[in-house]
Amino acid sequence: MAEIFLLSLRQLLGRWRLIVILLLAALPSLLVLLIRAIGEGEMAFHGEFVGVVIDAMITGGIMPIVTMTLATAAFGNELEDKTLYFLVLKPVSRVSIVLAKLLAVLVVALPLVIASGVVASALVNAEAQQMGILAIALAAGVTAYASVFTLAGLLTPRALAYGLVYVLVWEGLLSTIVSGIGYLSVRGYTLALLHGMDESSFAVFEGRVIEFPAAIVGTVVVIAAFFLLALYRLRTMDVP
Amino acid sequence: MNSPNVPVIAVKGISKWFGSVVAVNDVSLSIDPGITGLLGPNGAGKTTLLKMIEGLASPSDGTVTIFGQTPRNNPALHRRIGVMSEHEAVYGFQTGRQFVEWSAKLHGVAATAEATALAIERVGLADAQNRPLGTYSRGMRQRMRLAATIVHEPEAIILDEPLNGTDPRQRIEFHDLMRQLADEGRTILISSHILEEVETLADRILLMVSGKLAASGDYRAIRAKLDEQPYSVRIVTSDSRKIAAALVELDSIESVSIGAEDDVIVLSKNVAVLQRSLPRIAKDRGIRLERVEPLDESLESVFSYIVES
Repeated sequence: MAEIFLLSLRQLLGRWRLIVILLLAALPSLLVLLIRAIGEGEMAFHGEFVGVVIDAMITGGIMPIVTMTLATAAFGNELEDKTLYFLVLKPVSRVSIVLAKLLAVLVVALPLVIASGVVASALVNAEAQQMGILAIALAAGVTAYASVFTLAGLLTPRALAYGLVYVLVWEGLLSTIVSGIGYLSVRGYTLALLHGMDESSFAVFEGRVIEFPAAIVGTVVVIAAFFLLALYRLRTMDVP
Repeated sequence: MNSPNVPVIAVKGISKWFGSVVAVNDVSLSIDPGITGLLGPNGAGKTTLLKMIEGLASPSDGTVTIFGQTPRNNPALHRRIGVMSEHEAVYGFQTGRQFVEWSAKLHGVAATAEATALAIERVGLADAQNRPLGTYSRGMRQRMRLAATIVHEPEAIILDEPLNGTDPRQRIEFHDLMRQLADEGRTILISSHILEEVETLADRILLMVSGKLAASGDYRAIRAKLDEQPYSVRIVTSDSRKIAAALVELDSIESVSIGAEDDVIVLSKNVAVLQRSLPRIAKDRGIRLERVEPLDESLESVFSYIVES
């Protein structure tokens, strides 16, 4: 599995992909620094910062887009380059292949997305506990998205385009205006996890997120279900 | 090793269809140690058949076994098999050596470095092994892919159009290497759409046409079998009636008719006889041959083979 993991890591770290996701991940910190520079005053870790930067910017955009960019490429690159047969014709179990791909995505996406949120929070003087909670919730969200988009990369060569529509329409728009969608939204789970772990710091989500236990179950179910679906897809598909 | 009574590769009644398109139609065959050539024109279903044999695609009907086991979702079996697909893609950022070594490690080869060096030596690319694959010529990539295919000393080797992009000298070296591997008792299945590529190499040839196994045996037997098939041929000449009258006297001609465009439609039982006789008949009678073409679409490519080879 280590050989496939290292190869996948090298595939994911293509120069242009890396530049785009690094820029995306840096946006929240750049925004905070920009606000400081133009003299709009100090931002604090509550209210406006949580609503704009953590919710809209990171969980609504950066987290899904960075993870989607990497996860759809995990198998998408192999299918596009017609190299997937190198992997599936080796004496390696399908579980190991999917796991190696998923881990490679997480090794790149987790530090980027967590750093994106934590560094921006540190710039507005967040407490260590607040940053720790943010890191845990973002890690859960990234892992769930990685599982979803790894399957998408196996299903269609247009996974990135479909994924973008899903992120913008379902996660970005509908999940914020239709309350029930929170039960079927990775973004909804992430916000509910933040609120559930620290109600006072994330009070801005009060009344618009699902219950904490439901968010935990939802996250675990999404990660497991989409991993198993990816495994099933790899076992049953005709490999080009 | 395999039981002596069980073929290394056994295909029984296998079919594969994509919607209403039948790519492989009820093919049965068995392959034993030695070199077997899978021959057929582009689009004949060779690659689809190989994918089912390799376990990359599931058959719509029928069964495949290699060493008595089904290859689909059977990772352990792939320790004994080496596959080189028609796709020439490689991981361009790896060097040739890294690529072969990576393959060796995934196949669980114990002495990875030694096995890698030997495989690269066998394909004659030791000098280029430390260059990125992205800088290789097409022929070099093919040879390094072959090294990765044989690095774990597989008992069965399946190669889909392995000679694409190779030059004549590389083809001779490839033939020599295949012969060495076959002499070591391995089972080698090589597909090609070019008769000359496999006729001197393969101990046995399987001929696929339009998704079906049209013939199997040694090269000469297949050539003879092809020659015996009846073909409809359209002939356009400067004098249709005169050539029709001459052709109808040949024993191998079943029928001759004049078409709507003043062309001659001939149904021949032996296309080789027609091939030999037609130019002579035309020359003797001062008739100019303008066009000779097969009418039966499904046999067109077979006919092309015979004409071209």
